[in-house]
Amino acid sequence: MVTTTELPAQPRDQRPVRRIGMRQRLGRWDVKLSPYLFISPFFILFAVTGLFPLAYTAVVSIHKWNLLTGQGPLVGLQNYIDVLHQPFFWKAMRNTVSIFALSTIPQVILALVIAAVLNANLRARTFWRMGVLVPYVVAPVAVALIFGQIFSDQSGMVNAILAKVGIDPIGWHSNVLASHLAIATMVNYRWTGYTTLVILAAMQAIPSDLFEAAIIDGASRVRQFFSVTIPMIRPTLIFVIITSTIGGLQIFDEPTMFDQQNSATTAGGADGQFVTVTMYLYQLGWGSQNNLGRSAAVAWLLFLVILLISLVNFWFTQRIASDSGAKRRARKVRS
Amino acid sequence: MRKSRKVWAAAAGLTGIALVATGCSSGGASSSQTSGGKVTLKVQTFNEFGYADLFTEYMKDHPEVTIISDKAAKSDDARASVKNAIATNTVTDDIVAADVDWMPELLASSSFFADVASDSNKGRWPDWKSAQATDSSGKLIGLGTDSGPQGVCYRKDLFAKAGLPTDRAAVAQLLGGSSATWDQYFATGQKFMAANTGAAWFDSLGALAQVANNQQAEPFESKSDDKITVADSGSSAQKIFTMLTSHTDQSAHLAQWTDDWTKAFAGDKFATVMCPAWMTQIISGDAPDQTNWDIADVLPGGASNWGGSFLLVPAGGAHATEAKALADWLTDPAQAAKVFVKFGNFPSQVAAVKDQSVTSKTDKYFNNAPTGEIFSNRFSAVSKQPYRGSHYFDINDQFGKALTRVDVDKTDTPDASWQKFLDAVKQLS
Repeated sequence: MVTTTELPAQPRDQRPVRRIGMRQRLGRWDVKLSPYLFISPFFILFAVTGLFPLAYTAVVSIHKWNLLTGQGPLVGLQNYIDVLHQPFFWKAMRNTVSIFALSTIPQVILALVIAAVLNANLRARTFWRMGVLVPYVVAPVAVALIFGQIFSDQSGMVNAILAKVGIDPIGWHSNVLASHLAIATMVNYRWTGYTTLVILAAMQAIPSDLFEAAIIDGASRVRQFFSVTIPMIRPTLIFVIITSTIGGLQIFDEPTMFDQQNSATTAGGADGQFVTVTMYLYQLGWGSQNNLGRSAAVAWLLFLVILLISLVNFWFTQRIASDSGAKRRARKVRS
Repeated sequence: MRKSRKVWAAAAGLTGIALVATGCSSGGASSSQTSGGKVTLKVQTFNEFGYADLFTEYMKDHPEVTIISDKAAKSDDARASVKNAIATNTVTDDIVAADVDWMPELLASSSFFADVASDSNKGRWPDWKSAQATDSSGKLIGLGTDSGPQGVCYRKDLFAKAGLPTDRAAVAQLLGGSSATWDQYFATGQKFMAANTGAAWFDSLGALAQVANNQQAEPFESKSDDKITVADSGSSAQKIFTMLTSHTDQSAHLAQWTDDWTKAFAGDKFATVMCPAWMTQIISGDAPDQTNWDIADVLPGGASNWGGSFLLVPAGGAHATEAKALADWLTDPAQAAKVFVKFGNFPSQVAAVKDQSVTSKTDKYFNNAPTGEIFSNRFSAVSKQPYRGSHYFDINDQFGKALTRVDVDKTDTPDASWQKFLDAVKQLS
């Protein structure tokens, strides 16, 4: 900067100086910009595959848009209004939230407990730790097929066992809550192991002197768990809860496959007992109506709901951990 | 409409949906390339069209043509891929196969496809088959491959147990022969139920509805103006709904394509099932050890067809002319007969149906029943094709669900379920 202001008087002599200036500038840019350049591939990729579709979906959602015949006239928020007036949308929303609650909440709690057990001094530790991940390897649709057999209304295993105990068979496909439970079971089967390992990794990163100090203070195992372990793994918990919230609200494969008769139309039961928002979205956009505009509106509504629930979760998880006051105590112990 | 295979193959399919949704179709841009006068044609099929041998034969006769078979894991993938091609206006396959279920959708974009009518295929199919692939301006966009004429499959042993005749011809007579009616079918069902064999008369109401609605000229919509007529009181669909739901007691309450249903073919759950030609493969596949299934040359309410497919040629393909020639050859009666003999896909070509190699075929599984002859008769008896308007498949879907709510789920009374059906239909228009 200094060089350029000082040298306008002698244009010819400037040359070498200018070259140095350019080099300097390049050098400075190199220092300043290179880091961004190096991390840019991710963001460019994200912009192309994440941000652009997001924005484009918004554009589609304010148009009348047929999947096959393409863009129609601009209709503003009409698609959103139409969707919000559909009772089926609210049914899908109810089911999604219900299946999400039935799967995510027990899953995280269960994963916490299993991780705590796995973190203890076990024989053949690696075997047990890898064991919990096995269901995760099974493809979701394969899980749906297996559990579809188990939860069959007439020939299923669960109803056969219930009959032995003297309980009337449950209509796993006709009863709303029963169907949600069955689907949540599939989700939990597949994801609990994964969540457990993430939490376990966080638990192992806790310095052992914290526990030693807690033991000296006379804290019981349970007390250690709530006052040391949980506060220390809070960032991981937030991560786990938010990712499983996103996954839970986008649930598609399991409920689609659960309605074996109508899996092609993603109906989710003859009365929409377990239709989810993503299934409804697929019905609108790729079903025989090909109404991509309305489908895009549902996608955006779902996006907003996920954002909202994630924020609530974030706030909630932060409160849980700090309310206990254990964090402060844990820090004190450390210093 | 081969849904059962759809259901099982859906395992692989859902990933396909994701791929299509993100626009990553496998072929990239148009696949056909010309190099030194050579032509490469890509043919997309699904399930089993039985074309592998025919491709080899065609390439031998036409050394300049190379055929690449692009078989989708299941029909839903193929459907998504065709729709994706139309939506993005790109040609990935030179020939695409389509189920009759998707034809109304594809006909709405008929300009994407080439007119495949030619002198060589004139009069090849009965009118009802060609009508399924003809758009409002009279352009034929699909060459018919197989069809699904229906008979009644029944369990000999259960019939004997109930004191009913077990011989094929006698069963056909029992159900009314060529003038079989639904009333007679249900009356026989009542007799069967009275014998207390422990089995039901049929699998589910939804299965019967597929037949009954296909017997109407205008099941849900008016042919003249495409208006939805199903909600009008006294519509044919309402009558069918009332008729079916008043016979719930004869049902095994097994929704088609569910695990319960597929398992039931091996057990003693129901005595009869409506049997399109392709259903015979499903029954023998689901219950290979059950030796008592047989088939009668009869259908309550008159002959009708269920399912069938077409070959379509995207007009924008680089080698549309060559593709048309290949598709025309593949759907030639001679080829269709070969496919039937080897794979059992029943032809839709008039000449093929009468072909000696087709009519003489028997099926060991069905106690050596002359399936070729039976389905040939059932095919020839089909005279009308139901009008399928722009909302046909949505309404048909809702109709099936309305019956499932009453028959299988038992969550609604017939009246309440019909009301829900009407509400759902109202949202379509």
